[in-house]
Amino acid sequence: MDADIIIRLKNVNFFYGENQALTNINMNFRKNKVTALIGPSGCGKSTLLRLLNRMNELIDATRVEGDIIFEDKNIYAPDVDPVEIRRKIGMVFQKPNPFPKTIYNNISYGPKLTGVPVDDMNALVEQSLKQAVLWDEVKDILNKSAMNLSGGQQQRLCIARALAMKPDILLMDEPTSALDPISTAKIEELIEELKKNYTIIIVTHNMQQAARISDETAFFYLGNLIEYSKTEKIFTKPDVKQTEDYITGRFG
Amino acid sequence: MHQIQASTMKWRYLQQSLFFALIRGAALIITLALGGIILYIIIHGISAISWDFITKPPTHSMTQGGIMPAILGTIYLTVGAISIGLPLGVASAIYLTEYARQGRVIRLIRVGINCLAGVPSVVFGLFGLAFFVIIFKFGSSILAGSLTLGFLILPTIIGASEEALKSVPKTFREASLALGVSKWQTIFRIVLPNALPGILTGSILGIGRAAGETAPIMFTAAAFFTSKLPGSVFDEVMALPYHIYVLATAGTNIEETRPIQYGTVLVLVALVLGINMIAIIIRAYMRRNKRW
Amino acid sequence: MNRKTKEIFIKYIFFLFALVAIIVLAMIVFSLFREGMPIFKQVSVKDFLFGMEWYPTFDPPYFGIFPLIVGSFIVTIFATLIAVPLGVLAAIYISEIAPRSIKEVLKSVIELLAGLPSVVLGFFGMVVIAPVLQNVFDLPTGLNIVNASMILALMAIPTISSISEDALYAVPQEFKEASYALGATKFETIAKVIFPAALSGVTTAVMLGMARAIGETMVVLMVAGGAAAIPESIFDSVRPMPASIAAEMGETPYRSLHYHALFATGMVLFFLTLTFNLIADYVSNKFKQTGSATL
Repeated sequence: MDADIIIRLKNVNFFYGENQALTNINMNFRKNKVTALIGPSGCGKSTLLRLLNRMNELIDATRVEGDIIFEDKNIYAPDVDPVEIRRKIGMVFQKPNPFPKTIYNNISYGPKLTGVPVDDMNALVEQSLKQAVLWDEVKDILNKSAMNLSGGQQQRLCIARALAMKPDILLMDEPTSALDPISTAKIEELIEELKKNYTIIIVTHNMQQAARISDETAFFYLGNLIEYSKTEKIFTKPDVKQTEDYITGRFG
Repeated sequence: MHQIQASTMKWRYLQQSLFFALIRGAALIITLALGGIILYIIIHGISAISWDFITKPPTHSMTQGGIMPAILGTIYLTVGAISIGLPLGVASAIYLTEYARQGRVIRLIRVGINCLAGVPSVVFGLFGLAFFVIIFKFGSSILAGSLTLGFLILPTIIGASEEALKSVPKTFREASLALGVSKWQTIFRIVLPNALPGILTGSILGIGRAAGETAPIMFTAAAFFTSKLPGSVFDEVMALPYHIYVLATAGTNIEETRPIQYGTVLVLVALVLGINMIAIIIRAYMRRNKRW
Repeated sequence: MNRKTKEIFIKYIFFLFALVAIIVLAMIVFSLFREGMPIFKQVSVKDFLFGMEWYPTFDPPYFGIFPLIVGSFIVTIFATLIAVPLGVLAAIYISEIAPRSIKEVLKSVIELLAGLPSVVLGFFGMVVIAPVLQNVFDLPTGLNIVNASMILALMAIPTISSISEDALYAVPQEFKEASYALGATKFETIAKVIFPAALSGVTTAVMLGMARAIGETMVVLMVAGGAAAIPESIFDSVRPMPASIAAEMGETPYRSLHYHALFATGMVLFFLTLTFNLIADYVSNKFKQTGSATL
């Protein structure tokens, strides 16, 4: 049964200075599935996401306890290089954050600097942009600045940029919260397409979105994992009262 | 609800008008002082300026001729100072903004930078004399003067670079790190290129400072008069600020050479304020065209 | 070398660069002590600091720098008296009252004033202000305390003004709104709310302005007149410490007593300005106020 589990969290606690942001989290993320993390603001869902690629340690005075097992190894073990982890676990942020470079160079930036051998950079750029369903819109302006693209295009560029690293997992931190409904729909379609090849973990504050795109859903409240199950179950007959209150909009 | 006396209101507004008049007066005095000085120098100096004045060396014990060696010397010293101050300052700022975490050592470094910024220029001169001229045996030379000036402008450059580095959005760094690009590559490929225009404009102010300083080069680099141009960094040079001082206080005939003095002052002012103006204009332009 | 070691290595390289400011400061202290201390084998610290006679070239020479210290303090204090009101008022004008266009112009004016080389200001004081003072007040020389203080004030104004402006700007908007909402006039808001809230920043500005004035060399060298005696009137000449160092260093033999005495004067000057800077640093940190939440 373990074969389809890609990341395993065991008794994970996380602290910002004195404040505990996550308490005793145990959960397994499954391969080639879309897992949604939901919950009210400040519940720890984004914190958890950023734990998975060690982005949290860029903030001063943070501390992790417990194990996060990826490829049979705790990613917080002393001999693990966070940079290696981030190559295998890509991330897309809340606000589109392309570099002020050309579209082409945004994509080629990661593979070039991380020393991944690339036979044909042009092919990689094309492939990544096609995967992110952006190729047709930008194929004639690859040497134009990415800053000229619309918000939705920028976000798909950021996804393409992450895909160019050929990650195993794609973390998405509220990727559509800064976008208009049409762009949001495009990104959601894209996620549907991407899960064939990637494991996707997405934080969202939009419950309809979680219901539409995810296979599994985890509900967090005050730093605790309250309920984690198939999305269908969470949204139809949750086991815990708090979950039901949240998804029916009684709080949060 | 009680009525505020009309006379009280009137008094309050009178008070305000008086205060505002005072404030406007202060702003006016400062503007007039600067404008007056610059205008005065232009009016008195412009007649001395000619192609020969700028391109010929002084003659007749510096009572006639031009100031070319002094202009050249100032350029050498300034270029020398910036090539020492810029790399050191930028590297220092990179540590402070990109690597440093709050703590005693950082606090100490910051106090150190502030104190260095407050060291009087003549003390820099003494330091340059004792250290570079005497201990390192550079003699009074372009090298000793450049080193002294380079350290003098270090705090300016660190400050400007820190500000420029901080203005690069955090999201750029995050995006790069999340791709698995290492920290130093992120700094060199993303942070530094985006901070560069800001670093350069800030540093231009440092250049202006270096070009105008007199006391630090008096004992470390500046020559009263040399007929030949410097052949190496170990030679003394004439410099515009020091040349002004010499002409105004120790020349052969101080009153007679006033036009040359004004001309030299005008050249220095034009050089220094020109450099500053460029920085101010570039900065205004950059603010307007900010991409993020 | 693996990637992680390389990363740490690079970090420490940058750390070394960050230490440069401290290293230079240490080098300055070292060179001042090395060249300045020998004078105290001949003259006691007390006689040096409080001696009333500065005749370094006499036989026997006198190395008492008290008149130089007094000269430094007098011009600094007068310069501060002129520069503080002008600089602070200009800062208030820029941050609170001026329309946008004038604000930009005035900011540039102050920046350009800061950029004006000291030798140019000294020259201006010497050839323009001095004759005027001499004629108007019928003095033997126009190179005196008044002249030097006025020019020094011009040099301190940019420091005082720009740092005060930052402090005023940092006063939270809510304070101002609260005051206006109570029916206060703009003047009352500035005088009773904004200015007190910015006071520590303004104090820092004044301290740094004074440090600037006391360490300034070319102006006092060219316009203070150069008399190494305790002045009796504001129209007397003085010889502040930087002037003495700059004027005499060129003519003293290397490692003579006079040479050491000038370095020792540099030590005094250095520690004076260091004190001003540390006070400014202390004030700005102690009373640091970043927003309304910290109150």
